[in-house]
Amino acid sequence: MDGKRLSVSGVIMGRVITVTSGKGGVGKTTTTANLGTALAMRGARVAVVDADIGLRNLDVVMGLENRIVYDLVDVVEGRARLRQALIKDKRLPELCLLPAAQTRDKDAVNAQQMIDLTQQLRAEFDFVLIDSPAGIEAGFRNAIAGADEVIIVTTPEVSAVRDADRIVGLIEAAEKGPASLIINRIKPRLVSRGEMLSVEDVLELLAISLLGIVPEDETIVIATNRGEAAVYDPNSLAGRAYINIAQRLAGEDVPVMAIPDQQGVLDRLLSLFGRRRT
Amino acid sequence: MSFFNGLFGRKRDSSAELAKQRLLTVLIDDRYKLTPEMMAQLKADLAEVLQRYLPAIDAEQIEVTLSRGEAHDLLKADVPLRRAAEPPSKR
Repeated sequence: MDGKRLSVSGVIMGRVITVTSGKGGVGKTTTTANLGTALAMRGARVAVVDADIGLRNLDVVMGLENRIVYDLVDVVEGRARLRQALIKDKRLPELCLLPAAQTRDKDAVNAQQMIDLTQQLRAEFDFVLIDSPAGIEAGFRNAIAGADEVIIVTTPEVSAVRDADRIVGLIEAAEKGPASLIINRIKPRLVSRGEMLSVEDVLELLAISLLGIVPEDETIVIATNRGEAAVYDPNSLAGRAYINIAQRLAGEDVPVMAIPDQQGVLDRLLSLFGRRRT
Repeated sequence: MSFFNGLFGRKRDSSAELAKQRLLTVLIDDRYKLTPEMMAQLKADLAEVLQRYLPAIDAEQIEVTLSRGEAHDLLKADVPLRRAAEPPSKR
């Protein structure tokens, strides 16, 4: 996982990583936005690509919806050059978004076009993160077509884990594996009461390697409302979790972040006085 | 409560344990097209074959499980044998 690969001409090429899940609504887009931002905060050149053609969302999560001129389909169909379509992040000049088309459907691109696009992107960026659509059909297949690595996002719920297992099988069959796993929206108190699948349960069921875990955290809602990644907020536990995942993704030898099981003493005192830190 | 769960392992009837067991069944079905009915039939057939060689087998107690590994999944059968009151006499 050192991530530096050389092209024929000896240029260092970036890693193409697809974020997918099977089930919708488990946090793919939030994960893509936060990992992309966290990697760019470390100084990497990062492109985040919205591959959910027709259901554009990564732009609003990143607060870049007002800057879109061209989109992924415009690039693929030759109406715009890649550089024209890439939108620079508001804060991080090394972070760029390639938005999805909103008025087309998933059949507007094919797998070979996605492979060609990722080849162009990896020559310019250290990391290319692709936000996959939900489902197991053409949109998903296009999203993984050019990927070197695949990250599966799931939540500790039966439906999400079941769909994640389907994706594990499809990624193996497409020879894009082994995928790594992010378990999102963990509620530690529910886990400790035995009323939510634990990280260990999910890993035992899916039998793939764990990239990271993210707690359920209302700061994600607030950050999304503002169009800012949660990784900017030092008080966001989920933001800190994404920074931990970005470190691991970048090859740093750090353990998976532990999620505090209970409110700390300070939090309890603060909540007594009507204040909350998170 | 969570203190005791931590000490003695999760209660068998917790909703998380139930979710895990249900998922295990569903994932086996999804991956191997092995329904719970087929699993029951597999157990019965297994018992029948094994009893030809080992009459001490307690067919009711056979447990067949599929566990998942990174490289491959594992089909495992636990076959308890009734301990004979006296060892079989040697001929």
